[in-house]
Amino acid sequence: MNKTKDRAWFALFTVPLIFIFTTVVIIPFIIGIYYSFVKWDGIPANPKVFVGFDNYVQIFKDERFLASAWHTVKFTVLALLSVNVLGLVFSLLVTAKLRVSNAARTMFFMPNLIGGLILGYIWQFLFTDAMEFIGSKTGLGHIFFNWLLSPQFALYAMVVVFTWQMAGYTMIIYIAGIQGIPDEMMEAAKVDGANLWQRITKIIFPLLMPAFTICLFMTLSGAFKIYDVNLSLTKGGPNNATEMFAMNIFNEIFGYGHYGLGQAKAIVFFIIVAVLTLTQVAITKKREVQM
Amino acid sequence: MKKTSRLLSEVLLVALALAFLSPIYIMVVNSFKSRAELYENALALPSSISFEYYSKALEKMNFFTAFANSLYVTAISVVIVVILASMTAWMLARTDHKLSKIIFMVFVATMLIPFQTLMMPLMQVMDWIRTNLHIPMLNTREGLIYMNVGFHASMAVFLYHGFIKSIPVALEEAATLDGCSKFGLFWRIVFPMLKTITVTIAILDVMAMWNDYLLPSLTLSDKALRTIPLSTFYFFGEFTIVWNLAMAGLTLTIIPVVIFYVFAQKYIIKGIAAGAVK
Amino acid sequence: MKQVKKVFGLLTATALVAAMAGCGSANNNASGSSAGSASAPTPAAGSAAPAKEKLKKISIFQSKVEITDALEALAKKYTAETGNEVEVWGAAGDAYMTQLQAKLTANQGPTVFSVGTGAQADKLKSYLYDLGNEPFTKNIAPHMELKEDGKVVGVPYGVEGFGLVYNKDLVDPKNVTDLASFTKTMEKLKADGKNPLSLSQEAFFLIGHILNTPFALQPDPKAFIDKLNKGEVKMADTKEFQEFGKFMDVIKANSKNPMEVKYDSQMGDFATGKTAMVHQGNWSYSMLKDFGNMDAKIGMMPFPLAGNNKIAVGVASNWVINSKASPDEIKAGEAFLNWLFTSDTGKNAIVNDFKFIPAMTNIEATKLDPLSKAVYDATKSGQTIPWATAYYPSNIVVNDLAPVAQAYFLDKNMTGQQLLEKLDAAWAKAAK
Repeated sequence: MNKTKDRAWFALFTVPLIFIFTTVVIIPFIIGIYYSFVKWDGIPANPKVFVGFDNYVQIFKDERFLASAWHTVKFTVLALLSVNVLGLVFSLLVTAKLRVSNAARTMFFMPNLIGGLILGYIWQFLFTDAMEFIGSKTGLGHIFFNWLLSPQFALYAMVVVFTWQMAGYTMIIYIAGIQGIPDEMMEAAKVDGANLWQRITKIIFPLLMPAFTICLFMTLSGAFKIYDVNLSLTKGGPNNATEMFAMNIFNEIFGYGHYGLGQAKAIVFFIIVAVLTLTQVAITKKREVQM
Repeated sequence: MKKTSRLLSEVLLVALALAFLSPIYIMVVNSFKSRAELYENALALPSSISFEYYSKALEKMNFFTAFANSLYVTAISVVIVVILASMTAWMLARTDHKLSKIIFMVFVATMLIPFQTLMMPLMQVMDWIRTNLHIPMLNTREGLIYMNVGFHASMAVFLYHGFIKSIPVALEEAATLDGCSKFGLFWRIVFPMLKTITVTIAILDVMAMWNDYLLPSLTLSDKALRTIPLSTFYFFGEFTIVWNLAMAGLTLTIIPVVIFYVFAQKYIIKGIAAGAVK
Repeated sequence: MKQVKKVFGLLTATALVAAMAGCGSANNNASGSSAGSASAPTPAAGSAAPAKEKLKKISIFQSKVEITDALEALAKKYTAETGNEVEVWGAAGDAYMTQLQAKLTANQGPTVFSVGTGAQADKLKSYLYDLGNEPFTKNIAPHMELKEDGKVVGVPYGVEGFGLVYNKDLVDPKNVTDLASFTKTMEKLKADGKNPLSLSQEAFFLIGHILNTPFALQPDPKAFIDKLNKGEVKMADTKEFQEFGKFMDVIKANSKNPMEVKYDSQMGDFATGKTAMVHQGNWSYSMLKDFGNMDAKIGMMPFPLAGNNKIAVGVASNWVINSKASPDEIKAGEAFLNWLFTSDTGKNAIVNDFKFIPAMTNIEATKLDPLSKAVYDATKSGQTIPWATAYYPSNIVVNDLAPVAQAYFLDKNMTGQQLLEKLDAAWAKAAK
């Protein structure tokens, strides 16, 4: 009796969202899996030919895709570090009860307000005009030059822009975490003579574990899926050195019109990333429980 | 001694924040320049301040209609996401059986799917609903709201789930003993405790939906339905951008969300204060 | 006055509707009538047939952002003149194709839309309505119509052309006629402290257009591309391409690295006299005019590869009707295109508002800017080479050729011949 009642409550609370979510995300995803087994150019009126695992076999011969997967991994690792370090530093700074905290909090979050494409265009000005200007004024031409022209530095440029955009985002989540730490605990630590570093490492970090889990995952998924900034900042260049995974798939689907192949790529990548990140979530979640 | 170090860190913070804002500076100064002036120097201050590009952008974008559309879509989507995701996440976090874990993992895993691989099948599903169930999912703001909710569900559930886990269960148990129904328990006891994370989610979702171009561009066609990002398309040619209008339009676009953010972040602080009292 | 206009508009509308209703009824105007049989209306002014209900509202979706304003204004005039409604949709420049594809997938396709000549039109073949019976297609300039399987399916926006846009104060076309004179001119300009010839980093402006010349100079460009796709010929072994490699080496040796130049700065440098020549099309005039009037100073000449003395002229975009739209919509779409290409208002808008170089024999070009005039004159006299780019495999310029060209311009040691070999390799991959 009680069990059926519990079940009814469970359904009442979860079914509406799950229903919407299923129609918008899950079913299209399943249709997408089906498409990964056909050869089709993506134009609805044109024929779809079932080809079995052909698309999947092709992926592993596609050097450019493998290269783009590698760029994405490099980019993600770098972005993960820089976004979270900076986001955490920001959150610590603005919660330090300084007079300018409020203003700073708004300023750090502002980049997040400029969405998607235009962001990359604005940064092009900074990399082409501002960097060269600084380089010629300071004589540090080997650091301040147009990063977008160097295959190696163009990737770093992507990391910089992504960090600039996402640091404020993670900052907000870290702030929510830090604010959740009871003031009494910090006061008590202060009274006990703990210095700032001790307070950060012994109290804040452990209690921030849930925020870490969330931020790491959000940055990870954001970095893996990055497309807008990629398109508007480097267009994958120079010489494909910054072509990320999402862009490669997008080109496959809409550029070449290899719909099935593009879907197959997306699914392979999804499986790999899902296994990796879910492991990461599981590990950090475990650590939370230990607290 | 302590005062100087404090002053120092304040100066540092301001400097850092200002450096962080340099792209915004680029955006604003170039919204006042002609193409020739922008070509001369993209970094310099404009030679004269005139709001002609702003009024032109306002007019071209049909700004007030677009603003109303964006507001309608964003506000309703966010409210629905918050209500449904908090309820779902709470149930998933507080029930300890396999199904909840699986559902939660599915929510989390789908956050990794690039939208580009979902968009064509999504259009098919929506078309199927439209032709077979006669619900106008496409080319309506309500249809867009529905899809917004679906796409932002994962992240909200994920954030709520993490937050709820850190709240002690004892409070809820006490209320259950008092004879609260689950519904009452959730809205009277649990939801108020989620204030901080709710505001955080609202902020993140408002930003994402307000700025979204791709999804609305696929679902909305009529001029009368255009949201703000959609109405900026006039300024983006294939090879070049009408910089001054695009930058002016962008500035106009983000002003409302900056205001929203400044307003909302106060609530984070308040939420904390309220939480500390309990 | 206003009333007169209103009455006039009503009359015109009545006449047009009557005329169309007449056509329709002859073909069994029920909803089930086959779309193909509806022939285009001719605005038989003065027809006394009774007024029938107006045509269905149609939607237009097209890729050229720059004409959106003018098109919206034109749609209003159309409604005023005929009573029929047109909704203009919008898409940012490079998002057009994706959005079109999504809308077609959702069965929410526009009535009238635009497709690019070549691979894009081939891909969308099944959506292109046969315009063969439309009287206005008879006015399309020879060989300019968009054809699929022998049927006329699209009407060109207009013609466009590209070549070397030059500053008359700095360059004399007489000194740019072949590789030797080109090299000399380039070196002299460089010595004078000018950037002799600027390409820019956008895929088409970096390699797409300039590579057209050796293709267009083949006896049969289409056959050559077919062979290239099959791997039967190589660019690196073909004479015109080998010379192209030498031209590229001269450009690389004397000019500012195009990877550091954006379209915006390319035209800015040209407008301010820092650059003497740019490889560009007549469309770039719209950017130049933002820097002030320089009509007297600019001209367009052929890219002198292998002594070539012709400008490359072609059609980038075409108007088409969505064959999957309802018969009523198709009929309304036909009526609109017919009005666009035959009424004075429509013709006037094409030339003066859209600023296209018309590809129709019944539309006179007037008040053309100097670059467009060069293209128009070349077209009239037949002094043109085709756009072979239309036959390229889908999106090859952006996806495959541009990365090779980027590598070429970033690597000081890479020669033109090596560029060709890399282009061959990239082509082979893309054509698979």
